[in-house]
Amino acid sequence: MSVSANDNAARPSLRGFLAKYSVLIAFAAIVIFFSVASPTFLTPANLFNVLVNNVVMLAIVALGLTIVISSGGIDLSVGVSVDMASMVFVMLLAAGYSGVTGVAGGLGAALIVGVLNAILITRLNISPFLATLGVLFIGQSTQQLATSGGQPIYLTSGYAADQFNAIARTALFGVPTPVIVLIVLAFAVHVLLHRSVFGRYVQAMGAQPGVAWYSGIRVSRELSMVHVLCALLAGATGILLSATVKSYVPLSGNAFLLDAIGATFIGTTLSRERKPSVIGTLLGVLLLAIVKNGLLLVGWNFYWQQVGIGVLVFLVLAASFGLRRAAH
Amino acid sequence: MQTAKRDIAVSMTGISKRFGPVRALENANLEIARGSILGLIGQNGAGKSTIIKVLAGIIKPDSGTILINGETVSSLTPASVEKLGVHFIHQDRLLVPTATVGEAVFLGHEIGLGPFVSRRAMDRGAADLLKHFFGMELPAGTLVKDLTTAQQKVVQITRALAQKASVLVLDEPTAALVKREVDSLFDVLRRLRDDGIAVVFISHYMQEIEKLCDRVTVMRNGTDVGTVDPRQTPIDEIISMMIAREVGEMFPKRSVTLGAPVLEVSNLRLGGSFENIGFNVRAGEIVGLTGLLGSGAKEVVQCLFGLKTADGGSIKVEGRELALSTPVKAVRDGIAMLPEDRRAHGVALGLSVRENISLASLRRYSRSGIVSRGSENQAVDGLVKELSIKTPHRDALVRELSGGNQQKVAIAKWLSCQSRVYVLDEPTVAIDIGAKVEIYNLLNRLAGEGAAILLLSSDLLELVGVCDRVLVVYRGRLAASFSGPSMNSDALLAASSGARSGADGVAA
Repeated sequence: MSVSANDNAARPSLRGFLAKYSVLIAFAAIVIFFSVASPTFLTPANLFNVLVNNVVMLAIVALGLTIVISSGGIDLSVGVSVDMASMVFVMLLAAGYSGVTGVAGGLGAALIVGVLNAILITRLNISPFLATLGVLFIGQSTQQLATSGGQPIYLTSGYAADQFNAIARTALFGVPTPVIVLIVLAFAVHVLLHRSVFGRYVQAMGAQPGVAWYSGIRVSRELSMVHVLCALLAGATGILLSATVKSYVPLSGNAFLLDAIGATFIGTTLSRERKPSVIGTLLGVLLLAIVKNGLLLVGWNFYWQQVGIGVLVFLVLAASFGLRRAAH
Repeated sequence: MQTAKRDIAVSMTGISKRFGPVRALENANLEIARGSILGLIGQNGAGKSTIIKVLAGIIKPDSGTILINGETVSSLTPASVEKLGVHFIHQDRLLVPTATVGEAVFLGHEIGLGPFVSRRAMDRGAADLLKHFFGMELPAGTLVKDLTTAQQKVVQITRALAQKASVLVLDEPTAALVKREVDSLFDVLRRLRDDGIAVVFISHYMQEIEKLCDRVTVMRNGTDVGTVDPRQTPIDEIISMMIAREVGEMFPKRSVTLGAPVLEVSNLRLGGSFENIGFNVRAGEIVGLTGLLGSGAKEVVQCLFGLKTADGGSIKVEGRELALSTPVKAVRDGIAMLPEDRRAHGVALGLSVRENISLASLRRYSRSGIVSRGSENQAVDGLVKELSIKTPHRDALVRELSGGNQQKVAIAKWLSCQSRVYVLDEPTVAIDIGAKVEIYNLLNRLAGEGAAILLLSSDLLELVGVCDRVLVVYRGRLAASFSGPSMNSDALLAASSGARSGADGVAA
C-alpha cells in the first residue's frame, strides 16, 4: 500500500498531473479562449470590473464557507447573514447613526445568525444542513416582515453613507480598496485554517469527527466558532455590498450561496484528499467570475450563462476526480 | 443423538478458508442435527464466526463440502440459504426500530395485494405466530423500538419461523439480556428443539452451554477439536480443549519496580452496566481487564475516559479526584485512550501522520494559537523514530500505513501528550502478529517509564502474557483478580464465564 503510494509520488503520471492541476488548466484555457473571443476581455478596465464586482464579495462569503466545509459541515444561511448585516447597516445609517455604529450593528446581526446556527448544531444536535436550512427560511421571512414585504431601503446622501461609498470605490496604490479588504481577510483565514491550532481542530473534525472527540478536542466549542466566523465573514460582505450599491435589497444575499459552495468545491480539486483550502477557493471564485464575465462579453444571455457555469463546474470536478481515480 | 445419522440437517466437512496469510479455517467440520441444540464455542479468532458466515453464504470457502438436508449445495448466497430453511439470528443485526412487529416479522415477505402491503394483516399474522410459538401477546402495531432486547430476539426468531425455518443459528443471543430474559429465551429454544428444529447456539458463557445444549462443538485455530456432551463433560475439560498451548516468545519479558498508585478507582457504578468496581493501577504496572460482551468491562473503560458518566464512585489520578464527563476532561487530566474502533476513533485516516500525532497536544507546539511547524516536526520525527513507525514520510496519510503502524500512530499521539494513564481497548484487534509483538514491547516501555496501563482485552493469552495482574468482570461485578502463577488463560476463561471465582478472590 505505502510502497505503491511512494511510486506514485516519485513518478507522477500525466493523468495525475492533469488531475491535480485541472482547475489551473481550465483557468488558463478559459482566459485564453475569452481573450481571443472578445476584444474587451483582457483590458484593464474589464479585469478591474470583474475583480471588484464579481470576485471580492463572492470570495469573502466563500472564505467563510471554506471554514465550514472544512469542518465537515455546511452553511446554507450565508445569504441570510449577508442580508441581515446589510439590512441593519443600512437602517442604522439611514437613521443617522455613525458609520462605526452601522458596521458594529451589521456585524452584530450576522453574529446572531451565526450563534443561532451554532446553538442548533451543537446544542440541539441538528445536522448542519437542516439547521442552516431552517435559519435560511426564518431569515428570509424576517427580512420580508421588517421591510413590509421586501421593499428595498436606499441610502440618500448623508455623511456616513457617502464616505462608505467612497471607500468602496477608491483604490490604494492602484489596487481597489475592496480587493485589499479581500486580500487581508483571505490571508487571515488562510493562517487560521492552515496554520493555527483552531484550523487543525477544524480539519480533524472534518476528516474524522470521532477522532477529534477522542483526542480531547472541545468539538462543540470549535464548531460554534466555525459557524460564527462564517456568519461574520458573510456579514462583512453584506456591509461591503450595501456600501457599494448604497442600498439594501431584501433577499439579495442568496445569490452568493450556490456560487460560493461551487467555488469551494472547485477548490477542493487542488488537494488529493479533496480538502477545501483558501487558495483553492479563491481560484474557484476567479474561475466562476471570469466565466460569467466572459460569457456576457461574447454575448450569451443570462440564462445560458447559468448553463455554461453548470457545465464548467461539472467538467472541472469530473476531470479532477475521474483522472485522479484512474491515476490510482 | 441416538438417531443422529438420519436427522442431520446440515453437514459441513473439510471447510478451509484463508484470508491472505491468515488461516481462518483449516479442514473444519460442523454437523447440525434436527431436534437438538448444538453449542459452538471457541476463543476469539478460533473460527466460530467464519464457519457460520460460510454457512450463511457471506464467505465463500476455499474448499470443503456442505450438505443441507442431505443434498450437496455449492455457491451459497444469503438468499439461497434462507430458501433452504437455514436462518441466522446475528448478534448485532437489529431490527428496523420504527417498524411495527408485524412489519419486522414479515420483512422481505410482506403480506398484501400486488404492490400494496397490508400492515394490518401483517400485524395480525405476527400476533398469531407470537402467540402460537411463544405464548407472547403484544398490542397490535407495537413498534420494535418499544420492545425489550429479549422481545426483539423473539421477534427475530419469529421472522425465521414464519418462513418455515428448519435450522436456526443464534450468534451470542444472550449477550445483551438479563438473567430472567435468558431463561425465557432458553424455554423458547427448547420448545423449538422439541418441534424438531435444529438449533445452533454460539456463546461464550460456559454455564449457558451446559444448561441448554445437547452437544457442543469446540473450535480452536480454525478447526473443530471435538464435539462432546456438555452435561457429561467437566467444564474444565471443555475449556482446555478451547485453549491452544501458550506461546512464550510472543510476549517479551520485563522486570519493573512498581511505584505509587497512579489510577485509583473506587466504588464505581453505572446503572445497568456495572457496580462496585474498585481497583488501582500503579506506576509501571500493566493491569488487564476482561469480561465477556455485556459483562460491563467495556463500560468501565468508557467511564474512565469520560465517554460515559458513572453514576457514582470515584476516579483519582495521582491522588487527584476527577470529575469525568467528557473526553476533553479526561485528556486534560492525563488519561490516554486507545479505542477499539481505530478507524472511527483512533486515527483520522485522511490526515497525515504528523497531524494525527500532534492532534491531542497541539498547544505544546504552538504559540498564541499558531502551530510552530518546526517544533511540531521535531517532536513528530522523534516519535516516528522512537516507535519505529513505518511511513514514507511524516506527511504521508495515515490511510497508507498498515494496521499495526496506524495503531502506533495512535499511541504516539498520547506519548506526545505525556499522558500518565493509558487505557487501551482491544489494542491488538485486527493487526498481524509481528505488529502485536511490537505493541507489547511498546506497552512494556511505557510501563517502564512509569505510566499506568489498563488493558481491556478479550484475548486471554495476551492478558496473561502482558499483564502484571488481570481483573475479571462478570455480569457487572469484579468477579476475580489474578496475578503471578494463578494467572493463566484457563482460570481467566473460567472466571469470565462465571464458572468459578479467581484464586486471589475479588480485588480490593
